[in-house]
Amino acid sequence: MDSAIAQKTWELENNILTVETPDPSSDSIFYYDVAAQAKFQQEKPWANDPHYFKRVKISALALLKMVVHARSGGTIEVMGLMQGKTDGDAIIVMDAFALPVEGTETRVNAQADAYEYMVDYSQTNKQAGRLENVVGWYHSHPGYGCWLSGIDVSTQMLNQQFQEPFLAVVIDPTRTVSAGKVEIGAFRTYPEGYKPPDDPISEYQTIPLNKIEDFGVHCKQYYALDITYFKSSLDCHLLDLLWNKYWVNTLSSSPLLGNGDYVAGQISDLAEKLEQAENQLAHSRIGPLGPPRKKEESQLAKITRDSAKITLEQVHGLMSQVIKDILFNSVRQSSRSQNDQSGPEPMIET
Amino acid sequence: MASSSSSGLTFKLHPLVIVNISDHYTRVKSQLSLPPSLTSTSSAATSNNNNNNSNGGENNQNPPPRVYGCVIGVQRGRTVEIFNSFELIYDPSTRSLDRSFLEKKQELYKKVFPHFYVLGWYSTGSDAQESDMHFHKALMDINESPLYVLLNPAINPAQKDLPVTIYESELHVIDGVPQLIFVRSSYLIETVEAERISVDHVAHLKPSGGSAATQLAAQLTGIHSAIKMLNSRIRVLHQYLVGMQKGDIPCESSVLRQVSSLLRRLPAIESEKFQDDFLMEYNDTLLITYLAMFTNCSSTMNELVDKFNTTYDRHSRRGGRTAFI
Repeated sequence: MDSAIAQKTWELENNILTVETPDPSSDSIFYYDVAAQAKFQQEKPWANDPHYFKRVKISALALLKMVVHARSGGTIEVMGLMQGKTDGDAIIVMDAFALPVEGTETRVNAQADAYEYMVDYSQTNKQAGRLENVVGWYHSHPGYGCWLSGIDVSTQMLNQQFQEPFLAVVIDPTRTVSAGKVEIGAFRTYPEGYKPPDDPISEYQTIPLNKIEDFGVHCKQYYALDITYFKSSLDCHLLDLLWNKYWVNTLSSSPLLGNGDYVAGQISDLAEKLEQAENQLAHSRIGPLGPPRKKEESQLAKITRDSAKITLEQVHGLMSQVIKDILFNSVRQSSRSQNDQSGPEPMIET
Repeated sequence: MASSSSSGLTFKLHPLVIVNISDHYTRVKSQLSLPPSLTSTSSAATSNNNNNNSNGGENNQNPPPRVYGCVIGVQRGRTVEIFNSFELIYDPSTRSLDRSFLEKKQELYKKVFPHFYVLGWYSTGSDAQESDMHFHKALMDINESPLYVLLNPAINPAQKDLPVTIYESELHVIDGVPQLIFVRSSYLIETVEAERISVDHVAHLKPSGGSAATQLAAQLTGIHSAIKMLNSRIRVLHQYLVGMQKGDIPCESSVLRQVSSLLRRLPAIESEKFQDDFLMEYNDTLLITYLAMFTNCSSTMNELVDKFNTTYDRHSRRGGRTAFI
């Protein structure tokens, strides 16, 4: 009874909308209505409202493909295209495919190289029965968060001029693995010179020092869209059954081992930020600060948040290691006396 | 069709392939069947669909379509790992495989994933059929021993196991004539960490973000369910062994051997070096926690001092700063 109440509270806290198990009749999202799509394309309702598209629905398949591709690139940025359709103010991403270009600083030019590949691929897809068009592109930012850099913004603005409707998605595979949840963001840029009427509050994310300037300069030129995921009834069924074989992988995963470099990088970045903050605080000690600015947190507060986040991830990783140790290594120890503590002893008394 | 494979290869299947095949099938199926809102007979069709839920929502008119495609991956020694798949055009009635399409697609995928080779093909259906052998033979010039991955798309709520089977072909002499037949092989599900997280994310729709407490809850729930699974499996084994001991179940020495070897593998690691490394990692994490606490404390201190300054400076405007600090 208690657990039921706890679960309900948790769900409420997190605005979890219970997705009813999709039954076959709701698989209609997979149907591609050529006529309706063509009509929508002609009407162009987005031409008048820069904020027209508000939501993104990503299929399970597209998400899986994008995350796997992003991770396979390691620390190199990779990119690809997404296929799908539109539905009112939502863009639906049904599938994604990788492009054979390596991410460099001159990625704008690389797009031209990828066109041939894209045309070939789209052609073969249409032959094989996938009728959707390209609705966006995705790329990865390994280790430095989901946002659009200066080059990304200009690429996307170009795309939104000529290839509407188009969406930009950014995935961070390193943070995904480190945090244990998918780091993904979907964006659309505002047209040149357009000022958004209100300042949407975006979710805070930590950005490494060497990129923070790039982020700050351009962060007002685009907005983020809400992302939801969907899957077919068959997918649902298969994923449920997959758990029967999958639980082994959950237990055997060791997030700490794979991400050592990333964590070390984050900590050194934090150290640099601390130094900067120290300078800033030293200068502002002269005289009281003006009316307290409630919106912007001081640098130190941001650093605290970042350090808390990194610590959390580390602790989670260590927790699973300790659990595994207790499960699989403590066999012989049950025969010893109860007072004999053989596991690692915590150094802090709580 | 024989029931066990003797080739000795281990197969590893990635979940991406399964989701790929399922998506292909759902797509083709929904393109064929009428969408619910467009035609006048649709309401009858959808209500029938709801009634026929156990059939996997089959269209009343035609049997579920079969889709065909190619699986690609890597073969290293005796391990065959299937990473990805793509669709193919194949007409079962004329038994014609679109060669140029296959080659084109292969080329495209080679550009992006240069290490992957064509390992075999996939299809949907409930059982391997004789006609599948033609497709199989057609692929044999690309890969001498292709795999056949079969997915059963019928949604059966009572099913406990994944409806995916992998078949290999073996040359057997039947009635004096050497023939190729399909033999089933067992496979493992293999994954990389990122794939696992996204599958988890989609399967259980874990909350992203939120307070630290919810993240902790999510993490622990995941581990808890995995351990629950482990526990139930061990209980089954235990019951089986108890039954064997009582004599209800006939003694099977191969199973006993496997159980004993499993037990002998515990404890998993017990060397000194492991303890050292483990404790080092533990200490590192504690150190990070300590540092984070420090940062938190200094930030709070800083805010307190700022507030102090703001409060007390108001009284002594003249003469600059005579207040604290």
